Amino acid sequence: MKNPPSLDQLISALKVLPGVGPKSAQRMAYHLLQRDKAGADKLARALDRALTQLTHCERCNTFSETTLCNVCADEKRRQDTLMVVEMPADLANLEQSQCYDGLYFVLMGRVSPMEGIGPNDIALAKLITRALDGTVEEVIIATNFTAEGEATAHVISELLKDKGVKLTRIARGLPVGGELEYVDLGTLAQAVYERRSLSR
Amino acid sequence: MSQPGKIDRQPGYVLMSQPWRETSLLIEVLTRDHGRLTLIARSARRPQSTLRGVLMPFAPLELAWFGKTELRTLHAADWQGGVPQLSGLTLLSGFYLNELVVKLTARDDPHPALYFAYDRAVRALGAGEELSTVLRRFELALLASLGYTPTFDRDVDGRAIDAEQGYACPSDGLPELLNGRTVVAESEIVPGAVLLALAADDFSEPLTRRCARRLTRLWLNKQLFDCRLATRELLQTINGLSD
Ligand SMILES: [Zn+2]
Repeated sequence: MKNPPSLDQLISALKVLPGVGPKSAQRMAYHLLQRDKAGADKLARALDRALTQLTHCERCNTFSETTLCNVCADEKRRQDTLMVVEMPADLANLEQSQCYDGLYFVLMGRVSPMEGIGPNDIALAKLITRALDGTVEEVIIATNFTAEGEATAHVISELLKDKGVKLTRIARGLPVGGELEYVDLGTLAQAVYERRSLSR
Repeated sequence: MSQPGKIDRQPGYVLMSQPWRETSLLIEVLTRDHGRLTLIARSARRPQSTLRGVLMPFAPLELAWFGKTELRTLHAADWQGGVPQLSGLTLLSGFYLNELVVKLTARDDPHPALYFAYDRAVRALGAGEELSTVLRRFELALLASLGYTPTFDRDVDGRAIDAEQGYACPSDGLPELLNGRTVVAESEIVPGAVLLALAADDFSEPLTRRCARRLTRLWLNKQLFDCRLATRELLQTINGLSD
């Protein structure tokens, strides 16, 4: 038996989600329509609202309902340091860590040559304009320590070198409280390669 | 131990990986005896997974997997070490190697010689050896694995290469003595001395490296059917910007 067109449309719409194939999309559709109509209604409204009201913050490029997001609008934060992250979730985690009171820039992605994602596919041009607007003195690159995050960090550092801003990269190494005996070997090896000097 | 298609302790590298379902990774690997293949790394994306720091590109691994069909499952990945994580230009060069391997090799088509060339190139990148030499040697090994082994020591007429002469190297075939002849399209003009250096695997002269770059590009483009290389474009973007 064939599905009604609206059901088919819902199933194929759900397949846009990462990791959702035809089977899971069908399961989700049945669940929303059969078991949780109120939830489905909430989802439809939330999606509609997000699509019409969310834009990117003019300065840091993260999702925002206002021209300036609440972090960028906060004048008490240090205005001369800019931390570059890949995604809004990274910004949120850094905020929770309470280690940083400067401003951010969110790339909304990373350079990934193997997937054909190049410098023009993420917000690098906007970053360069922001970093060179005259108020920023230090750019802290906090992209992931994946091969793609490292490639992105390199591209950013090439774009901003010799432009009068200080460039730094967040450190990597053993986790805080980490014991050498249990840490994964890649992390351990890199911690040794990137050991720091203690002599003055 | 009699599981179908079970492979143990196979030297290999992760070429690329992508998320698979909720918590797993789909990894593309190059192995010594089984060539390029895809493996599912189950639960590799869970926060506490120790595979996270191991399934990185450019890290020598020993892999174990099972399953005969398209969807083979990674059983173990053991860190072999010896290569610091690549960064900067060497990292982008590493991506270039991976893109070439993914675009120019077939799955399940083992080429141990290509694996050794890849392993040698990655270790050389990690050790900070001269970049263009590392890349050209790998490109030539890759071309050889594709059945295209360039000849550098004699010309199309079977004569030994003369260091004092100029030669036209076509995209397919042997060098041709120039000697005032008009050059065929799709070829590179190279001094005989450079060809002899290449025959001896000697990349010490900058001129040799420059000519080798033009030659491998000519030959690779033919193999790629002029398909664009994202890594090559990325390198050009960066070089263009830093000028
Ligand atoms: Zn903002």
